[in-house]
Amino acid sequence: MTKIPNDRRLDLLQGTLDMLILRTLQWGPRHGHGIGQAIRAQSDDLLRVETGSLYPALHRLVRRGWLKAEWGISEANQRAKYYRLTAAGKAQLARERDRWSQLVHAIGLIMNPETSKE
Amino acid sequence: MKPDLNELDEEIRGHMALSIKERVERGEDPEAARLAALKEFGNVLLTRDSIRRVWRHRLLDQAEALARDLRFALRSLLRAKGLTISVVVTLALGIGANAAIFSVVRSVLLSPLANRDADRLIYIRQTAQGIGTENLTFSMPEIADLKSRVTTIAAFGDFSTVDFTFIGFGRDPRLVKAGVVNGSFFEVMGLRPALGRLLNAADDGPGAAGVAVLTHRFWTTTLQSDPTVIGKTIRLGPSAATVVGVLEPSVPYPEETQIIANVVTSPHHLGATMVTDRRHRMTELFGRLAPGATLEAARAEFQSVHASIMREHPEAYSARAQVQLRVTTLRDQLASPARTILLLLLAAAAVVFVIACSNVANLILARSVRREAELALRAALGAGRGALRRTLLAESLVLCAAGAMLGLILAKPLMTVVARYAARFSVRALEATVDAGVLWLGIGLAVVAAVLLAYVPRLPSSDRPGGLGLSGGSVRMTPGTSRRLRIFATIQIACSFVLLAGAGMLVATLTALQTANTGYDMRQVLAIDVPPSASGVGGAATLNFFQEATRRIGELPGVQGVAAGMIVPWRDPSAGFKSQYAFEGYQPADGEENPTCRFRPVSPGFFAVLGVPILAGRDFTDGDRSGGELVAVVSQSVAQRLFANGDAVNRHLWRTSRGRGDSRRIVGVVADVDDENIVQRPSMAVYQPIQQMGLASRLFVRAAGDPYALGPSVTRVIREISADQAVERPTTLEDVRAQVLTPERLNAFVFSAFGGIALLIAVVGVAGVLAFSVSTRTREFGIRLALGATPSQLLTRVLKEGVVIVTAGITAGALFGYVLARVASTYLGTARLPGALPAFGAAAVLIGAAVIASLIPASRASRVNVLRALRSE
Repeated sequence: MTKIPNDRRLDLLQGTLDMLILRTLQWGPRHGHGIGQAIRAQSDDLLRVETGSLYPALHRLVRRGWLKAEWGISEANQRAKYYRLTAAGKAQLARERDRWSQLVHAIGLIMNPETSKE
Repeated sequence: MKPDLNELDEEIRGHMALSIKERVERGEDPEAARLAALKEFGNVLLTRDSIRRVWRHRLLDQAEALARDLRFALRSLLRAKGLTISVVVTLALGIGANAAIFSVVRSVLLSPLANRDADRLIYIRQTAQGIGTENLTFSMPEIADLKSRVTTIAAFGDFSTVDFTFIGFGRDPRLVKAGVVNGSFFEVMGLRPALGRLLNAADDGPGAAGVAVLTHRFWTTTLQSDPTVIGKTIRLGPSAATVVGVLEPSVPYPEETQIIANVVTSPHHLGATMVTDRRHRMTELFGRLAPGATLEAARAEFQSVHASIMREHPEAYSARAQVQLRVTTLRDQLASPARTILLLLLAAAAVVFVIACSNVANLILARSVRREAELALRAALGAGRGALRRTLLAESLVLCAAGAMLGLILAKPLMTVVARYAARFSVRALEATVDAGVLWLGIGLAVVAAVLLAYVPRLPSSDRPGGLGLSGGSVRMTPGTSRRLRIFATIQIACSFVLLAGAGMLVATLTALQTANTGYDMRQVLAIDVPPSASGVGGAATLNFFQEATRRIGELPGVQGVAAGMIVPWRDPSAGFKSQYAFEGYQPADGEENPTCRFRPVSPGFFAVLGVPILAGRDFTDGDRSGGELVAVVSQSVAQRLFANGDAVNRHLWRTSRGRGDSRRIVGVVADVDDENIVQRPSMAVYQPIQQMGLASRLFVRAAGDPYALGPSVTRVIREISADQAVERPTTLEDVRAQVLTPERLNAFVFSAFGGIALLIAVVGVAGVLAFSVSTRTREFGIRLALGATPSQLLTRVLKEGVVIVTAGITAGALFGYVLARVASTYLGTARLPGALPAFGAAAVLIGAAVIASLIPASRASRVNVLRALRSE
C-alpha cells in the first residue's frame, strides 16, 4: 500500500463516525478491523479511523441498540467480534443520512451561493 | 450485555491478528508486521479503558467526580475554621435535639411492649366525667358481671394496689406498694418470669397459700438481684407470703409496685365490702381478646353489656356521675398521657432544626458570595451548572455529615435528659435508646440540610445581566443575596419568637401556680405518712397509737403542734373521700341532688397546725370521742352555699347513704382550703374527728424552726411506740406542692432551654447578617462619610436595619404562632395562646438581643476610614 501524504488525510467531522459505521454495516456484518478498513478503502484512503475511537464507538452503538455483536471466526482463524445492524440501527442510519444531506445542502448554499442558486 | 475484560482483550487480539495477517499478506516481515500493527493500534490500555467507560453507568462517573469534590471541600473548609465550627455546632444542636426527642417519642409511642401479643392486650376503664373522675376503677361485682357476660374477651386479669408494711429479707420495716391480682393476671398480661414462677389459677381464691412475685426493678435495685430470695417468706402487713418468682422487666401499669401478690395476702380483698359492694371500686381491669375478636367488636360488646349492668343497678351509677366505659389497647393507654407533651417537644425540636438550618444557610450564603469569583472562574473554564452545584453540594455534605456525627454524639446525653423528663408522663420513656433508627434520622436530617444548603447560593449564569464578574478580590453583595440573607434571619427570629413566647407562657403558668395562695401555712408544716401498722389495722389500736404519738411528738423540743389526718394535701389520692350529704334546713332545688362533699377525718388541732382559720364555732376537742355526740366541722363554702347568712353552727348533717341515724352536729366553720388543686377553688368539705371515724394514717407536725430537722426524732418516737411502724416521706407542704408542680417546672425548663438555644442561634444569625452586610458596604459607608454623614448616623442606620429584621421576624412569628396554636388546639385540645405578657416579654428580649448583636457591626460601620474605603475598589 502506498503511503499517503499527511496533508491529504482528512479529519473526521465530529459526530459522523457513528453514521459511517452504520453505513459500512449496511450490506452485512463485519468485524471491527473490517469496518476500519472499509471506511478507509471507500473514502479512497482519505479517512482513517483510529482504533481508539472506533472501538468505543462500536460499543456505544451496541449499547444504544443500533448494533448487535456476535462472536465468529475471522479470516485470521481467530475469534473476532462481528457487528451487525439491528432494525433500530437501520432506522437510525436512514435518519442520519437525511440529516447529513440536509447539512451538506445547507453548507453548500453558504459556501457556493452561485452554483446553488441555479 | 456488558463485556468483561477478557472479552475486550480477545476482541483487541482479534483485531491485532487481522491487522498482522493483512500486512504479512502484503509481504511484510512477520515480526515487523506485528510491531507495525501494535504501533498503528496505539495505546491498548487507553482504548480498552475508553470502551469500558462507554458501558459504565453515568452515575458512577458522577460519584467519582463527587468524591473529588468532597476532597476539595474538605481542604477548603479546613481553611475556613470559624465558619466550619459554627456550622457544625449549629447543625449538631439541631440534629442532636431532634434525634434525642425522636428516640423518646419512638420508645413511648411506637415501640412494642414486652407483653406477648400486646396488640390483643386491652385495658378497660370506667370513667365518671360528671364528678371529675378520670379513673373510677371497678368493684368486684362489676368485674364478675363483665366476666360472665362479655364473650369477646378470652380472659380477664384484675389488679388493685394495696400499701403493705413489708418485713423480710432482714431489712427495716418499710411501706411497699403491692399489686393484688387474680390468678389469670399474668397470663392475660402475657408476661414471663425472670426467675421462679408467676402466679396462676391455683393461687386464686381465699383458700390458697400466700404467694408473692417481686417486680424486676425492686429485685434488681433493692435486693441487688439476689437469686436466693425465691422460697423465702415475707410478711405483708398482717399476713405472710412466700416469694415464688421475679417478674421480667415490663412496663409497670397502672402503678409501679414492688411486689405482686395473690388475693389471700390482703384481708381487705377477702372482706364482705370488697366482694359484695358494687360501689367499692378499687380494681383495674385488663383483658385479652378472644381468638378472632377485634378491638372494635370488643368495644361494642362492652358498651352494650355495661349499659345493661347500669340499668340493672341504678343505685350504683348516679346520673350526674356520667359513668362510662372505655376500652383501649394497653399500648395506647400507656402512650396517651405523654402524646401531647412529646409531640410539642418534637415540634419545638423541629423549629430549632429550622432555625439551625436557616442560620447555617446564612453562613453558607455569605461564604458563597465571597466565593463568587471562584465559581465564575470555574464556569468560565467550562464547568456546567451541574458541576457547580456538585461543588457546593460536596461542601454542604461535608459540613452536614460532620454536624450529624457530632449531633448523634450529643443525642445520647440529651436523650437521657429528655427521657427522665418524659418519664413523668409515661414510664416507657425510660426504655428509650439511641440506635440505628435514630442514626438514620440523623443522616436523613443531614442530607435534607445538605441539599437545601447546596441550593441556597445563586450560581453564576450568563443569562443574567450584571451577573458575576470574573474580577476577583472585591466582594460585592447583589440585592438578591442580601434579600435571602435577610429572609433567613427573619425566619430565625420568627421561630425563636414562637419558642420564647411558648416558654414564657409556661414560666408564667408555673409562677402563677407557685405563688397561688393555698390557704395553708406551708413552710412550717411537716407531713408524714404513717401507714396502718403491721401489728394492727384501723380501729381502737390505730387511734390509741395516733393519740400516743401526737402527745409524745408534741412534747419534743421545737414542735409547736401535732395533728393527725388521712390526706396530705395534693399528694394523697382523695377520690374516694367524697360523699353525698344531706343538711338539716337545706332543701335541694327541684331536679338537684344533695351536695357531694369531701369528707376528711382530722384530729383536734388539725386546723391550727395547718394554719386554717376557724371562722365560727370551735375546733374538735379530745372530748369528741366515739361514745359521745357525733360532730362535724364544715368549710366556709358549705356554710355559705347551704345556709342563710352562713349560719351553719349547730345544724345537723348526715351522709345520705347512711340516713339520719348517722346525723352529726356542726360545731364549727373553717376557711376553705383545697387539698386537691394547687390553685385553690371553693371546696365543699366536711371534717369529722378521727376518734369518731377510727381512721388515721398521716401526721402533721408544726415546727418552730427547720421542719426537716424534726424528722429523725419524730421517727424515733414513733418506733418507740411501735417498732414495726413504717414512717415515710416526711415533707413540708411547700415541698409537696413543689413536687406536684415538677411536671410544670420541667415543661417550663425544657421549653426555656429550647427558647434559649433558639435565641442564641438567632442572635448570632442577625449579627452575622449585619456584619456581612457592613463588610460588603465599606465603600458605600465611605461615600456617605465623604458626603458629610456623621459616624453616629451610620451607627443608627445599621442598628435600624437590625431592628427592622427583628420586627419583621416578630410579626411573622406572632402570625405563625397564632396559626400554630389554632392548628394545635384542634388536634391536642390543650394548646393555649400565651397571654400578652409572655408575648411582649419575648418580643422585648428579641429586640434587646438584636440591638446588642447589631452594635458590633454598627460600630464597625461608623469607624470606616473614608480614604481607605474609597480606594478599596
